[in-house]
Amino acid sequence: MARIGVDVGGTNTDLVLECDKGIFFHKVPSTTKDQSIAVVEGVLQICDIAGVAKESVDVIAHGTTVATNITIEHNGAEVGMLTTRGFRDILHIGRHKRPHNFSLHFDVPWQSHPLVKRRNRIAITERILPPTGEVEVELAEAEVREACALFRRRGLRSICIGFMFSFLNSRHERRAREIVLEEIPDAYVSISSEVANVIREYERFSTVAMNAFVGPKSALYLRNLERKVSEAGIAAKLRVIQSNGGIATIDGCVKKPVGILMSGPAGGVLGALAEARLAGIDNILTIDIGGTSADISMVTGGRFRIKNARDTVVSGHAVMAPMIDLETIGAGGGSIAFIDTAGGFNVGPRSAGSEPGPACYGRGGTEPTVTDAQVVLGRMDADKFLGGDLPLDPALSEKAIREKIAEPLGLSVVEAALGIIRVVNNNMALTIRANSVARGYDPRDFSLMPFGGAGPFHGVALAELVAARDVIVPVSPGITAAMGLLGTDLQYEHTRSVITPLFTADQPALDRVNAVIDELSAAGRHELDNDGVAPESRVFEVVAEVRYHGQGFELRVPVIEGRLTRANKSAVIAAFHAMHVADYGYAFDDSLVELYNIRVIATARVPHLALPLVAPGQPDDLDRARLYERPTVFDDGSTHMTPRYDRRKLGIGTRVSGPAILVQHDSTTLLPPGYTAETLAHGSLKITRA
Amino acid sequence: MTATQKIDPITLQVIRGAIETIAEEMAHVLFRMSFSSIIRESEDLGAGLFDTDFNTLCESESTPMHIGSIPGYLRGIAETLDDGEWCEDDVVVHNHPYFGASHSPDLAIVIPIFHAGKLVGFSANTAHHIDIGAATPGLIIDVPDVYAEGMLFAGTKLYRKGKRNETIWSFIRRNSRASRQLVDDIEAQIASARLGVRRFKELLDRYSEDLVFSACNQLMDYSETMLRQRIAAIPDGEYRAEGWLDDDGRNRGQHLPVKVCVRVIGDRVEVDLTGSAPQTPTAYNVPFEGSTKVAAFAAFRKLLLDTATSETRVPSNQGSFRPISVIAPKGSIFNPEAPASAEARFTQCNFMIDLIIKAMAPVLPSEIIAGSSASISFASYAGVQPNGEYWVFLEVNEGAYGGRPRSDGPDAIDNLMANTRNNPIEDLAMHIPMICDRYELRDDVAPGAGRFRGGMGVVKAQRILTDGIITHESERHSNVPWGIFGGHEGAPGKCEIYNIETAEPPRQMHSKFHGLAVRRNDVMAYYSPCGGGFGNPLERDPQKVLEDVLDGFCSPENARDVYGVVLDLEAETLDLALTEALRLQLEGQLQRQSL
Repeated sequence: MARIGVDVGGTNTDLVLECDKGIFFHKVPSTTKDQSIAVVEGVLQICDIAGVAKESVDVIAHGTTVATNITIEHNGAEVGMLTTRGFRDILHIGRHKRPHNFSLHFDVPWQSHPLVKRRNRIAITERILPPTGEVEVELAEAEVREACALFRRRGLRSICIGFMFSFLNSRHERRAREIVLEEIPDAYVSISSEVANVIREYERFSTVAMNAFVGPKSALYLRNLERKVSEAGIAAKLRVIQSNGGIATIDGCVKKPVGILMSGPAGGVLGALAEARLAGIDNILTIDIGGTSADISMVTGGRFRIKNARDTVVSGHAVMAPMIDLETIGAGGGSIAFIDTAGGFNVGPRSAGSEPGPACYGRGGTEPTVTDAQVVLGRMDADKFLGGDLPLDPALSEKAIREKIAEPLGLSVVEAALGIIRVVNNNMALTIRANSVARGYDPRDFSLMPFGGAGPFHGVALAELVAARDVIVPVSPGITAAMGLLGTDLQYEHTRSVITPLFTADQPALDRVNAVIDELSAAGRHELDNDGVAPESRVFEVVAEVRYHGQGFELRVPVIEGRLTRANKSAVIAAFHAMHVADYGYAFDDSLVELYNIRVIATARVPHLALPLVAPGQPDDLDRARLYERPTVFDDGSTHMTPRYDRRKLGIGTRVSGPAILVQHDSTTLLPPGYTAETLAHGSLKITRA
Repeated sequence: MTATQKIDPITLQVIRGAIETIAEEMAHVLFRMSFSSIIRESEDLGAGLFDTDFNTLCESESTPMHIGSIPGYLRGIAETLDDGEWCEDDVVVHNHPYFGASHSPDLAIVIPIFHAGKLVGFSANTAHHIDIGAATPGLIIDVPDVYAEGMLFAGTKLYRKGKRNETIWSFIRRNSRASRQLVDDIEAQIASARLGVRRFKELLDRYSEDLVFSACNQLMDYSETMLRQRIAAIPDGEYRAEGWLDDDGRNRGQHLPVKVCVRVIGDRVEVDLTGSAPQTPTAYNVPFEGSTKVAAFAAFRKLLLDTATSETRVPSNQGSFRPISVIAPKGSIFNPEAPASAEARFTQCNFMIDLIIKAMAPVLPSEIIAGSSASISFASYAGVQPNGEYWVFLEVNEGAYGGRPRSDGPDAIDNLMANTRNNPIEDLAMHIPMICDRYELRDDVAPGAGRFRGGMGVVKAQRILTDGIITHESERHSNVPWGIFGGHEGAPGKCEIYNIETAEPPRQMHSKFHGLAVRRNDVMAYYSPCGGGFGNPLERDPQKVLEDVLDGFCSPENARDVYGVVLDLEAETLDLALTEALRLQLEGQLQRQSL
């Protein structure tokens, strides 16, 4: 029996295989046109490498950027929409706020790249009334059929339905779907009360429209992958990582692809969480540093955080699907440093990407990047990059930094390179702080975990800047995301708005809430049944999304017992006050506490990744691991003759003292003077101040 | 505060990141914590840090009208401060329009920052409150003087040395129709300002006062240099534009002239509003320090430091205000004298910016845009609940942009100085006795035609489910957004009131009306102006015209007669050959007309 994690990135498709022989890693180049080619190829290759029969693979867990790429490249389905008469342009108006305060030439993504063109948004006569959801005007079924005739004429196959107040009563949306399917039997239909059954018309409509936009292509990809896997003779169940950190079946994702928009970056956080478990750590600040951007997130008490639904925006469109709370900033190895016309010094967000790439790649890039700074400072050995697979030209780095930064500012090249590193580290540290300290967490309770190929260069500096306790460098920083895929649970979430003042809630009000909990739990149970999950490995988690009456933002409070009772509602109120104090430094009166949404998370626990122990450390580990030494400049400006060590040869408990550089195939860890790195049981490194 | 060092560019960038993050954190706490929809949903607020000379060190990216207004408040507080001095842990509230406030509903909360026992700066924010006890709920227009605006605070201490001044809190609680929201929202402002104090002190401890303030000074110089470089590239000269406002909200049919003269002198700019209308007898006046100047500063930031097209973002600080001076004679609509009321001031500011943009057309043809809606629709709906308490709801409705040199004017979006979020219709109906009957692009008129067309306005029809009272502050029912460089004009705004239970025709409303009593099931339908076009419509990409016809932004008749585009509507296709011929013919007609 074997399990495989496959994470598809822009350049490489990373694979991890776990079986009783151990853990195996592999990388194949991504096939951008059809990601499934590299996925299947990689799976077959890693089975060979591990000596595992492809028939014995039990599960393949897949992280994909397919849905995300559709939104970036604007090449989703041509969508038809049915909406309530009088409200045709909710998607066009959005929240009527410009993306820029001080600009006349700004772009408005939801208008320049609409999910549904205005000509295909058809207003239908119907009306549901707040606050009870009673029907004031029946659905005009003939209008729905007429709209379908137009959609047929225009060749539209992906149809979404978003009616006002459907979160109170979904009858019209469901009836309209029946009619659409009668009129266009092969239509891909999404309705807002199923995709995101919550109050706030723009966000709900945008979510259902996004589902319709990415749906058909994502479904095609997933079905195609499923077929290829089975044709290749791999009997495994295929699972897809969701934005909320859970995994879902192909069937689930085909219906609700809006749940996999952040599948890619979610894998990174899960990988960090898996590594943290192995290292026995509960609180980590994660930073995944790539070529153009860095993803920053946080794990507290062994759990990742979910982003407030008000902040979940994908390619400029609101999407109310639960996503791991992570922030992406334009800071990475390829970020370009430049001086502007008033003498200001900037690093990023513009990036040299992989083409032309940093100057040292010798592919025509002339602007200095963060990577060039690392090369000039002697931290990246030009002849050893990617194990010598891609030799770098340090002279080009030096030239770019000298001409573009050092000379204009009257600095030496080394000073300029140090400046580039300092600014990019600072930009990343500010975002880490904004996601931790600013929310009331004490960074001294957290380990910083840097990953992505470039992450471990910056780990110690970032930990210092944000005052983190220590640094944990994962076993394989370059493929942390793929490892994360093997540590995730099958998970389904269902949400409904059920606005209830908690303080005064009487038994009938609580009964109404509990009826909603029951309904949402039943929906989750049904899905787990379909997946054949054994009852003993099921977990149902009930979350109350609560705010003070009149506020626009909810906080998520767990309902521990799974039901709301007169006895436990005061605990929910107290927990909400405490969260509000933690986030904002202030709590208001009990009388204002209002339940807004109920969310039920149905989970099937799967075994977590079990990395083998590395060999116990030996007294001669350091000698055996030592490769060579070269002069290296550290952040404080000091230069030291710095030894390089092969990380694979360091056993448990072996300590390396800085200055040192620890190398592995796809990543380099910088250990400044005054720091010590200790190899932990599974091979990760713990770096502390000596 | 001391500031003696020359800071290297790298450290400068580090300090800049730190203070900008503080401002954003302050704004975040404020709108997440607050209760009234005008703050929490619309984000009608600003927050930042200031030095003891009242320079803006950093400010949040929230609503432009607030950005740059706080120094005026600080100068006003300096003249009026309770006890005459600042003490550590004081909290001051201030909103007096004749002591620097932007307008009275925008309360500022200011907390002094002490470091090593010495006053070194201020943490402050402003936010729009739904009711401060003015003559009518929410908004006012037709009032006699500033005393009808409600509670006026000038340097008033809510806390003295950390001790709560219960007298003033209970006074506030008894003088608002929405006292609960007012008081809770002030608490949110205090939490936000306190966070700013704490974060700034941490920064001073870490880097030293001298380094931080030296860096702040250099960052201000940096912003100033950036703007001066752009101004210096414009030929020196006087650039003028003028227009008018509908009326003052009382004297119907009496247009109010607005005259703008932009003097470019080397690397500085003077905005001269001389010749604009005298101050009005209503609330339709603009406080000079807190609003007129702020609008002029914003105009040049948009024109010359466009954040969407610039590679570098210029820090939001005092430096970007320094190259611009503003002249408005005392006693004029842009610089009223006490006791004139000056609460309804937004549309004048937006129109002034639109005119500045127009004035610069000859010398900045690829930066300027055609005429925008350049107004606002600010409505207050209120009623009395069975328990005798008021409900009050404030709503900002959007406008549309003029066509632009490289793209169409955005539709249905907050315009120029406004940048709020709309209140979700579903949320409104769950909490307030109102329901929205219609919210979509208006299709009764066309936006201005052009190579790049103007933006389309919206229609929003809000129905009130109890008897109530409405005040509406709006503009441009008579003055149509202009086209430019051959573009056609857009469409004016309008506002109607009707009752769904009667067959009476809709009442056409003036752009501003005050304290109108309405009945159950009365509907106010607001139609925002549409932007003007940029460039000759005959030069518009015919494919775009086809798309516009299919999407309802252009009628088939206009496609043919104005854009010269021949379409097959059945097949939804374009006939390029016939289009070319028709365009030649229309071009000829145009040339003959102009001879």
